[in-house]
Amino acid sequence: MDIKNTFYTVLDHTADLRVRIKGDNMVNLFENAGYTLIDLMLNIGRHEKPDNIKIDISGIDIPDLMVRWLSEILYLFEGENLIVTGINIDNLTPDRLKSHLEVIHYNHRIHEILMEIKAVTYHQIEVTENNGIWTANVIFDL
Amino acid sequence: MEIKLTKIDNNRWLIPKTGNMRVPGLIFSSPELLKEVREGQSLIQVANVSMLPGIVGYSLAMPDIHWGYGFPIGGVAAFDMNEGIISPGGVGYDINCGCRLMTTTLRADDIKPYLKNLVAELFRNIPVGVGSKGTVHLSQKDESMVARKGASWAVKRGFGHPEDLEKTEDHGTLEGADPSVLSERAIKRGLEQLGTLGSGNHFLEVQVVDHIYDQKIAQRFNLFKDQITVFIHTGSRGFGHQICDDFLKEMVGKFQKTGSFLPDRQLVYSPLDSDIGRRYLAAMACAANYAWANRQILMHLTFETFLKTLAVSPGELGMSLLYDVCHNIAKKEYHTIDGRKTLLCVHRKGATRSLPPGHPSLPPVYKDTGQPVLIPGDMGTHSYILAGTHKAMDQSFGSSCHGAGRVLSRRQAIKMAKGRSIHRELEDKGIFVQSRGKQTLKEEMPEAYKDVSQVVEVVHQAGLANKVARLRPLGVIKG
Repeated sequence: MDIKNTFYTVLDHTADLRVRIKGDNMVNLFENAGYTLIDLMLNIGRHEKPDNIKIDISGIDIPDLMVRWLSEILYLFEGENLIVTGINIDNLTPDRLKSHLEVIHYNHRIHEILMEIKAVTYHQIEVTENNGIWTANVIFDL
Repeated sequence: MEIKLTKIDNNRWLIPKTGNMRVPGLIFSSPELLKEVREGQSLIQVANVSMLPGIVGYSLAMPDIHWGYGFPIGGVAAFDMNEGIISPGGVGYDINCGCRLMTTTLRADDIKPYLKNLVAELFRNIPVGVGSKGTVHLSQKDESMVARKGASWAVKRGFGHPEDLEKTEDHGTLEGADPSVLSERAIKRGLEQLGTLGSGNHFLEVQVVDHIYDQKIAQRFNLFKDQITVFIHTGSRGFGHQICDDFLKEMVGKFQKTGSFLPDRQLVYSPLDSDIGRRYLAAMACAANYAWANRQILMHLTFETFLKTLAVSPGELGMSLLYDVCHNIAKKEYHTIDGRKTLLCVHRKGATRSLPPGHPSLPPVYKDTGQPVLIPGDMGTHSYILAGTHKAMDQSFGSSCHGAGRVLSRRQAIKMAKGRSIHRELEDKGIFVQSRGKQTLKEEMPEAYKDVSQVVEVVHQAGLANKVARLRPLGVIKG
């Protein structure tokens, strides 16, 4: 996977990290948001063949689903030492997301950690659609 | 949303009660510091907190106030035990993030020739950085004991001495901890991170006392000019982050069904008198205890490193704990409201407790001085030791500030540091720094923070705590 940061912008926030992510549609936005989180945290470089895992998340609405989705990817790294390298969203509704993820095991000799993200916050979380362009504003706790 | 401020005096500013605010906001600041505060969104956050049910008195902000998530950093709010709420976002992800200060009997000249090596050895012996694993590997049973017992678990395992507990807030054990309410994820994340410093703004500093403001209290705190001290700033690591995250999500799910108004989803709450409210408090206490055990272990690793590197005996080193305080917590405390002693749940999000002389929660050694209040600055300037006051009890539910407070975002700081060697600049000032992260020194450079002396001056002038001594950094390790 070659992550390009063309779909996200880092905005100013005094203490934490505020990011604006864009996508061509809702599925693309959620995929891009996942890649953004990994790109901010890690420099992966080349990697071995990934494993596949399935995840299934429910939320109360789209912004909540976005926070839970990113929190899941963050947990996989922090709790399971797994780096998400590929995202295939199978089904996405405003309150549920089912996805196949490609993951590799974190290896401190190969993968460079760029920053510690403690959590994905609900503060000023926004997911909007305007003329077919989907945008999410997310604040990460550092 | 524009926030109007009414000046009370040069150190206090009021946000009058308007709209959905249940109480006014009260900001401790100076005209100079307020200029920076107005640029962010922290005043809106003070107003948002004032809208939460059961809030008592004021929605308060300490002089290091800056834009956080949900609560402002430097926010203090107290809630009625019957009608009030508990908000995990009002405590923060790093539950019981806090500070610990150790004194020694060494003077600056004693360690000068060994300083660079000492910093290198501390960096080698103390796990720092993202995902670092601790020197203590816990079984689930041990982790459960850490969560229940806190610092006393660490002392029983040989990390430090029983007298350290007396000089730790709540003796290093918050009551009511119940590991049975924790998620599998929280338990898993806690297993390997005990005895780690972490990253970001967490640090360990070797310092020298460079100014004494109050000789009498300084003597009681065993402080003297040119003395070497060690300052540790860290918290409950991934264990606390996961606990906060778990309960925020559960509360967000439940809150929607109530149809109640919420100005910011990060402020989601539950009544104190509810099943989930009680479970959160029990889980939060587990994380608070984990953090106290963590700082206790880090203190011991520091002690061992000093002994070995300086080739001195414990008696020659004379390292002892001055105090350990938390600054991200919610606690049940008695305060006087309308002349009546009332039990409240006080949220401190980036704020330090500041208890006055004679307070029953103080150990005998500090009964007549007030509680030591530890205020770290940035790695290039100073840290301060103050003493708690009666005025803090009257004005801020016994609270003071917790640090300098950021003024630049991390992105702005990195931009400003471009082409500079922060490491070299600090070394030129006689401060040796070692850090793990690529960008850490840039993000944490001195200009990224408010002038801590201005922040402390407001604390002192407003009477939230009294200045006792100032500390200058000599060596810093960061994640």
